[in-house]
Amino acid sequence: MPGTSRKTPITSRKAAVALAASASLALLTTACTGQSSSGASDDASKDVTINFWHAWSAASELSAVKSLVAGFEKAHPNVHVNVVGNMTDDKINQALRTGGGKSPDVISSFTTNNVGKFCSSGALVDLNPFFKKDGIDPETTFPKAMNEYTQFDGNRCTAPLLGDAYGLYYNKTEFKKAGITSPPKTWSEFEADAKKLTISKGDSYSQLGFMPNYHGWESTTEHLFAQFSPTYFDKSGKSALATDPAFKAGFTLQKKLVDELGGFKKLESYRSTLGDEWGDKHPFHTGQVAMQLDGEWRLGMATAANPKLDIGVAPLPVPDDQVAQYGKGYITGTITGIAANSKKQNAAWEFVKYITTDTDAVVGFSNAIHNVPSTLAALKSPKLKYDPRFKTFLDIASNQYSTTSPASINGGVYLTTIQNLGYDYESGKVKDLDSALKSTAKQIDTDIAQAK
Amino acid sequence: MAQVLDKPVELRAPVTPAERTARRKALMEWIAVHSLGVAAALFFTLPFVFVFLTSLMSDSQALSRDLIPHTWEWGNYRKVFDTPGFLTWWKNTLIYAGLGTVLTVVSSIPVAYALAKFRFRGRNLSLMLVISMMMLPPQVVIIPMYLFWAKQLDLSGTLWPLIIPMAFGDAFSIFLLRQFLMTIPNEYLDAAKVDGCGEFKTLVRVVLPMAKPGIAAVALFQFFYAWNDYFGPQIYASENPGAWTLSYGLESFKGAHHTDWNLTMAATVLVMAPVILVFFFAQKAFVEGVTLTGVKG
Amino acid sequence: MSTVTLAKKRRPPGLAAKQRKQALRTLAFMSPWLIGFAVFFAYPLISTVYFSFMHYDGFKPPTWVGTKNWTYVFKNYPYFWPAMRNTLWLVVVMVSLRVVFGLGVGLLITKIKTATGVFRTLFYLPYLAPPVAATMAFAFLLNPGTGPVNSLLEKVGIPAPGWFNDPTWSKPALTLLALWGIGDLMVIFMAALLDVPQEQYEAAELDGASAWQRFRYVTLPNISPIVMFAVVTGVIQTMQYYTQPLIAGKVASGVIQGAGTQFEPGYPEKSTLTLPQLVYNLGFQRFDYGSACVVALVLFALSMVFTAFLMRRRGGLNLAGD
Repeated sequence: MPGTSRKTPITSRKAAVALAASASLALLTTACTGQSSSGASDDASKDVTINFWHAWSAASELSAVKSLVAGFEKAHPNVHVNVVGNMTDDKINQALRTGGGKSPDVISSFTTNNVGKFCSSGALVDLNPFFKKDGIDPETTFPKAMNEYTQFDGNRCTAPLLGDAYGLYYNKTEFKKAGITSPPKTWSEFEADAKKLTISKGDSYSQLGFMPNYHGWESTTEHLFAQFSPTYFDKSGKSALATDPAFKAGFTLQKKLVDELGGFKKLESYRSTLGDEWGDKHPFHTGQVAMQLDGEWRLGMATAANPKLDIGVAPLPVPDDQVAQYGKGYITGTITGIAANSKKQNAAWEFVKYITTDTDAVVGFSNAIHNVPSTLAALKSPKLKYDPRFKTFLDIASNQYSTTSPASINGGVYLTTIQNLGYDYESGKVKDLDSALKSTAKQIDTDIAQAK
Repeated sequence: MAQVLDKPVELRAPVTPAERTARRKALMEWIAVHSLGVAAALFFTLPFVFVFLTSLMSDSQALSRDLIPHTWEWGNYRKVFDTPGFLTWWKNTLIYAGLGTVLTVVSSIPVAYALAKFRFRGRNLSLMLVISMMMLPPQVVIIPMYLFWAKQLDLSGTLWPLIIPMAFGDAFSIFLLRQFLMTIPNEYLDAAKVDGCGEFKTLVRVVLPMAKPGIAAVALFQFFYAWNDYFGPQIYASENPGAWTLSYGLESFKGAHHTDWNLTMAATVLVMAPVILVFFFAQKAFVEGVTLTGVKG
Repeated sequence: MSTVTLAKKRRPPGLAAKQRKQALRTLAFMSPWLIGFAVFFAYPLISTVYFSFMHYDGFKPPTWVGTKNWTYVFKNYPYFWPAMRNTLWLVVVMVSLRVVFGLGVGLLITKIKTATGVFRTLFYLPYLAPPVAATMAFAFLLNPGTGPVNSLLEKVGIPAPGWFNDPTWSKPALTLLALWGIGDLMVIFMAALLDVPQEQYEAAELDGASAWQRFRYVTLPNISPIVMFAVVTGVIQTMQYYTQPLIAGKVASGVIQGAGTQFEPGYPEKSTLTLPQLVYNLGFQRFDYGSACVVALVLFALSMVFTAFLMRRRGGLNLAGD
């Protein structure tokens, strides 16, 4: 009929096509988001290449990994390992989810608190059946704390690949100059020593006893609070941040140090002039900071960067009321696991088994990168080469009071949340610690509920 | 009599007080404007200068507060070139930017032409949708797109998820080209049709040669967009160092070199330089293109 | 009468075929964009809405959770509201400063008579620097301890701020970076200023108008569509502000990733957080795809509001133009 607007075929056809395309594509995606599990069905005796992604990046570490892999390939000539280094957790997590030919079969990560996420999401396979198949009992193979942080809810989806222990490094020369004869055992002694070792120069410092600011490399809430033996989660899985007095004590101590050593702003300005963590100009190497909270790798790095430095090593101080537990420290480590999307799981297991349980391999790797060995056998091995000062870390690693941070379903988010509170408290942004602890605990619980 | 006429006309000093004030005012304005100009020029160029100077410092001097290098370490550039992956980043960025630009231009031209010269229902709707797409942050659709490319097509760890969509037109390029094509008088098109050309032939034979400045501008914009893109490679290429581009690689370079500011600045110079060089050769097209977006759009 | 009606109803022969041919031709020319629109715009947008109601971590199949993600993002995600506040700050301060500065520089260029080309090139160059490179350069220049800027300030006796390391100065530092790259706005304003009819200036001068009055009553009205365009596109760009704050925060905090530390978004103290960064944090660090989609939709809504505003005002979009 004249006058009626007849829809042009082209417009309605266009719209229909677009709509159909979108709808079908949307359906396609939703149908295909499930994970394709591959299962361990490959033949480990056939010639095969597996991808190994790790997070190490320094030149010495890369060559140490190379030797480790070479040892494995010599013992298992049919399995070739393609090594990719400098892979941070973000990239590893992405690759584990997408699968495919380029993705890793074996991964290693520094972030032990991601174990909860790896296990509960099914990103890495449970290694218990593999251990059982080869007659290895993890409980008697690995140290207690390491067994703790490599599993979550009964699912052992990772194995420890060398460990780290944290202790106190101190500059013996500067100690002598300040008249301090032995390293501090309690936090009160530590506070006094830090003040004695701090020499101001105008608006800054010529020497700082200790860098307490949380951005100061390893001086994080995670490492510091371990000395107070905190319980992060109560039995029901809720955050114990506001209920366990250890946390309040830890925050208060750090704030006291910040205020007594010059105030947050002055320390932050000083920090921004200091060399970074992995370079030669690390402030402990240069003597700009007299005491340093750090991991066992620092010894090797410091002696290499500044051979003339007179380095002292001791466990970190403990709270005044826990003197009997002096010698404990924070333990963490590198973890390794097999990707659930891997189609070569049996071959991957041969590799994982070698690098985590073969005593000579573990000892050799530990010697090369100066980390704590991760099997009881390796800890006792006569082939273990170490600077006598390194023994402190071995002792910390086997100390029964040493702690680690528990796994959680959303990985290290709870630690970041606690650390954020630390940043706010040290800068003075947050003044009421008690209520802040309560609200932070609530935040942690909410984040965990969101991840379920 | 002759002496008066022989006297040369005084051109220097103004004759009337009014003219004198006017001239002084003009001189003051000239000084003020050009002083501001120099100050502004300093603001815009000093960062480049400092970056370049720092790139030539030794490792220890880079951490000091000195402004001028004591020793001119040209070797820093050699070190950056020798960094594993640096040349790969170059290669990848060139492929991404080059291939992407070609695909964008080829696929956007017909669309822009249709939107400029055809009359059909849904034209205005299409145009509005094109503009909406232009304004859309990439983060809005990144999750399903990432799942699509990575899980469905197993293309994560490559730059293909960034390049392939460019074969389907780019909203900004379409818009810009459309604005430009609209300035081409229809008489040319009519003349071509009278000669028996179909729409496609008209486009290729008659319109394209006249659209060269617009196409050049679009190509340049798209090239720089891809060259400077950080978010795209971060999402799709990060898990495969062999696919990194200069922007992403530069960030990881800083991560690996911490406070080696001299090396990081050398790398920064090497990432900035090509863009600036291309600009010098293509200035006119660039400025025209930017003007097209602002004035006519 | 009836014959006329009948004649109207009977279409001239060949017209249907011609129309169909035209329609097909339009379809052919528009097809790249049509496919692109469906596959890369419409479909992902629908998916994003869909995923915002699902709990999905990339491994187990997605499960329906209704508004759980929405509640989390708006009420419990500690980075969301700081990011929104930062966006507001950036819109109010950065966009307006950029427009004013861009206009100022554009005006300056039109008044420089000597070596105009050289000045124009120098002013434009920073805009070309890749964002990552430019941000790193500024992070170095503004480093509170070792950067040249603070060295100079201290020599002159001005108290030197912490720039990217100080939460009160991090956004101003980013604004400084944005002003450095003013080239694009400068060129647009320059063109607009040169387009103002000279006669209007002459008429105003004859009427005895001062320089300021000429600016206010001749220049501004003529360039106001461009100013409006610059403001709205500036706001839309602010929605997408991702690379510069991310790189600035990473470089300034000095945190080395991979040492077991979780990345701290928005260093210092959440002052450089922007919404696009949240999408990355939720989607590619926490692997909470559902909540990431919620933030993505907030981004979308904000962008579309301003886009609609821009289209309403037309600003010379020539929608109907022929």
